[in-house]
Amino acid sequence: MTPIDESLISGRERLDEEMAALEGSIGYDETAYALPVTYAVTGMAVHDAGSAREAYAASGSSVLVAGECLAAAGYAAGGEEGEPYTGFVPDTVLRRLGYSLVDGSIAGIGLVAGSPDDADAAAAICREMQEKYLLTFLAGGVIQTLTEAGVKVGLEYRLVPLGSTGMAAIHFADIIARVAMMFGGVQPGDADRLLNYAAERAKAFVIAFPGLEDEEIAVIDGLRVLSIPILTPEGYEGGEWIRVPYLDAVREGMERRGIRVNVVAIPIPMACSPAFEGKSIRKEEMYVEFGGAKAPAFELLRVRPADEVEDGRVEVIGPEVGDLEEGSAVPLAILVDVAGASMKKDYEPVLERRIHTFLNYGEGSWHVAQRDLVWVRLTKDVVRRGVAIADLGRLLASKFRMEFPDLIDAVQVTLVTDRERVEAMLEEARAIYDERDERIAGMKDEDVGTYYSCTLCQTFAPNHVCIITPERPALCGAITWLDAKIAYEIAPAGANQPVEKGELIDPVLGQFEGVNRFVKKASHGAVDRVSLYGMMDEPMTCCGCFECIATILPEVNGIMIVNRDYLGDTPLGMTFSTLAGTIGGGAQTPGFVGISKGYILSDRFLQAENGIERVVWMPSLLKDELKGRLEEKLERMSIPELFDKIADETVAVSIEDLAEFLARVDHPALAMRPLI
Amino acid sequence: MSEEHNPEQGNRILEVSLGATTAEGGTRERVYTVGGAGTFPFLGAGPAAGHPPRIALEICDDTRTWSPIVLREVGDLAGDTGAWAAAAETTFGADMVRLFFTSTRQRGFDDFASLGTTMEEVIGATKYPLIVEGSTEPGIDSEVYRRIGEAAEGERILLGTAEADRYRSVAASALAYGHALVAQTPIDINLAKQLNILLHETGLPPERIVIDPYTGTLGYGFEYSYSVMERIRSVALQGDADLARPMISSAIDSLNVKEVREADPETADEVAIRWEFYAAFSALVAGAEIVCVRHPGTVALLREALPALQEGSHPQEEAYGDESA
Repeated sequence: MTPIDESLISGRERLDEEMAALEGSIGYDETAYALPVTYAVTGMAVHDAGSAREAYAASGSSVLVAGECLAAAGYAAGGEEGEPYTGFVPDTVLRRLGYSLVDGSIAGIGLVAGSPDDADAAAAICREMQEKYLLTFLAGGVIQTLTEAGVKVGLEYRLVPLGSTGMAAIHFADIIARVAMMFGGVQPGDADRLLNYAAERAKAFVIAFPGLEDEEIAVIDGLRVLSIPILTPEGYEGGEWIRVPYLDAVREGMERRGIRVNVVAIPIPMACSPAFEGKSIRKEEMYVEFGGAKAPAFELLRVRPADEVEDGRVEVIGPEVGDLEEGSAVPLAILVDVAGASMKKDYEPVLERRIHTFLNYGEGSWHVAQRDLVWVRLTKDVVRRGVAIADLGRLLASKFRMEFPDLIDAVQVTLVTDRERVEAMLEEARAIYDERDERIAGMKDEDVGTYYSCTLCQTFAPNHVCIITPERPALCGAITWLDAKIAYEIAPAGANQPVEKGELIDPVLGQFEGVNRFVKKASHGAVDRVSLYGMMDEPMTCCGCFECIATILPEVNGIMIVNRDYLGDTPLGMTFSTLAGTIGGGAQTPGFVGISKGYILSDRFLQAENGIERVVWMPSLLKDELKGRLEEKLERMSIPELFDKIADETVAVSIEDLAEFLARVDHPALAMRPLI
Repeated sequence: MSEEHNPEQGNRILEVSLGATTAEGGTRERVYTVGGAGTFPFLGAGPAAGHPPRIALEICDDTRTWSPIVLREVGDLAGDTGAWAAAAETTFGADMVRLFFTSTRQRGFDDFASLGTTMEEVIGATKYPLIVEGSTEPGIDSEVYRRIGEAAEGERILLGTAEADRYRSVAASALAYGHALVAQTPIDINLAKQLNILLHETGLPPERIVIDPYTGTLGYGFEYSYSVMERIRSVALQGDADLARPMISSAIDSLNVKEVREADPETADEVAIRWEFYAAFSALVAGAEIVCVRHPGTVALLREALPALQEGSHPQEEAYGDESA
């Protein structure tokens, strides 16, 4: 075991001595960046021993600068190593490497240094790095070890043999320094920018094998300043080097630097694309079905600690498709376990909803509903082509990784078809669903400091801005506050942006300084102020996607709500579509507002106009849909009788009939302050 | 909206420079700067009018999918990409050539070496800045854009086309070899903005991006493109810095529409020219800084029509000085 701390001290001393003894001219050929690390850190273009010592002092005796000056002095003295070693990589080659890093065909870079005792371990590490689209640089005895073990090295194999000693590790640093200057706009001499660039962008790590000399240890340890973790499977102790079993080294390095490999093709025997999303699978085409009230079934996505999720692992517990009779209905539990440093429990339901989308991407797989109501089918056609239940798991695992690369580091899927087990787990799943409902239901606007915007519809309603709060989902009903929050985390440049609500201007109208500021900007100056909880003064704009429209009915001093699915006439004398045509397009129309169904049940529902108590009419379709939840809410408000006082088209379609009905049932709106 | 409106200076479309002279490491005789406007197009003289628009003639390295009307018109030139490019500048009077590497769009394309050769040939044959379009197939993008970028290193070409789901290779090439790029989104202002932000995150400076809002063909959706161009210009002038970029427009399917394809051979040229002309002319009015056409006759007609738009607003050369170097 080599003690790192002691080696560092003696390594530094050696470097100091050698720097002091340095003589003659110094420099690399085929680069516009002099000695790249030194140039980037100090802004000084070193060309001889004197200027090298000056730069070394200017860098605060950086071991990387010392290592580089010494290496370049060796070059200038003609000490360049020949084949197979590449030594200093010229700018033209580097530009290509940088290109591949930016364009993603190289996922990251790794340095393997030292002289491994176990050739198989070294070869396994390099193979894994090749498979993971990493470009691997090699420094020291490891190159000979690999070539003797029959591993081919060279740029074309993505295994670059830098040099025969550990000192060649300095070229790993000069590559990062040049990429920062070429691609990252880092100016020579701006050491802070360089370090920031490395911290944010350098997807790099080092794996150190035993046998490094003290000064080599010092130079490699110096790489840590560039946010490069140093992992070691054996041979070193102490210092800041991270000990890992060699089998885990690559995964650990990738995880620490957030290096992710993009999966491109999904390895299953059926096509998988959004093109298949809208299909349905009829009974005659179906080979087998799961759930759909014919057998117990559910789906559950859970966040797990990283060590409990084995990425890509798919397991089927119970009968596989080959064991099932054609046309049968089978129980199914779809368990998706995900892990990721930035994953949160709150994301679970949102990601779980994607199971639906993804399974429908399959050419011969179909999915409807959610949670413990799911219904899944597979076609005869794809089963004949070899699609098994496990393939649904592979599809899900791949799609989750592809679609949420920044969120999810690992996904494993378990598909249970064994009836007893599915039934046993169902209770547990239901408890989790309930818990989630409570978490979202319990969220209040005042509990958060940030709302979210949605400008997805600016394509056709140029100045429309939705503001989404925990108690007011987007008017389309498709995006809740949590969805928007996650959408922002997944796509920070996307249509959902955080809105700091800022100082409260009016608690009843729901006007906030920060919201107004945001809306003004996002509406390109068209809208100055927005009331989140009202419809008469500066209501929110409407795009055209609203689930429902709420409008005032001045004659009866009440609010009517009409949903998109209702095609008939309303007491206002307009159908939904006529009404929609007059209020959409991103305009603020006092007295009219586009809303989601969910908002009707919110405590913040048009509170500036007395909320739900002011509602006098809605189509029976909508009333039925909301029935249970609305009755519960009214019960809580101690006005259970209100439900029956809200008219629908079966009692009144004209304003006269409505007025008569409201008078008869003594609707509270009649006694409220006038709306106009 | 990442930058505040500055009433002192007024909001302007960012200037993007294309081409590089020998002094700047390239071989172009002149550099074009596009953008710079602080108002809507053709509203009069003065620096707020920005730089003059540019007309590009589109050519290709593999003519199999090119319009037979154009091929008939250019004759033997179609078989010699370099000569075709040279003629675009000298004979046909275009400001610049837009070279499509259509060869890369053939199934199973793998002759990557030819890209570098053709690129060098076209660079050698031309004097003005170039627009170059690579592959549209993610599987080969990486190799294609590297080859093109490398072969044109130093020339500061306008490289196309980056899209939301495949922009990395184009951006990498622009970064590595010092080019500008075309960022295309499908007639959607939000996506245009988002793509600019994504490109910014790769490290590409904003003054190297030209927006392509996608131009539908006349009679086949052009009006949507027109209003998106107008809106991009409008919000940019209102202070949306992420959209304050020059725009490029090419009604790329103009010569494939039924009316042109099935036109009487006697009048086919005329029909083709009109179809391209009205889209390009309208795009200029909507705010496009670079318009691209394929029929040489359209270039001539646009040349004739431009002064009428610019009447009284000739402005740009005086305001910005001589742009040729």
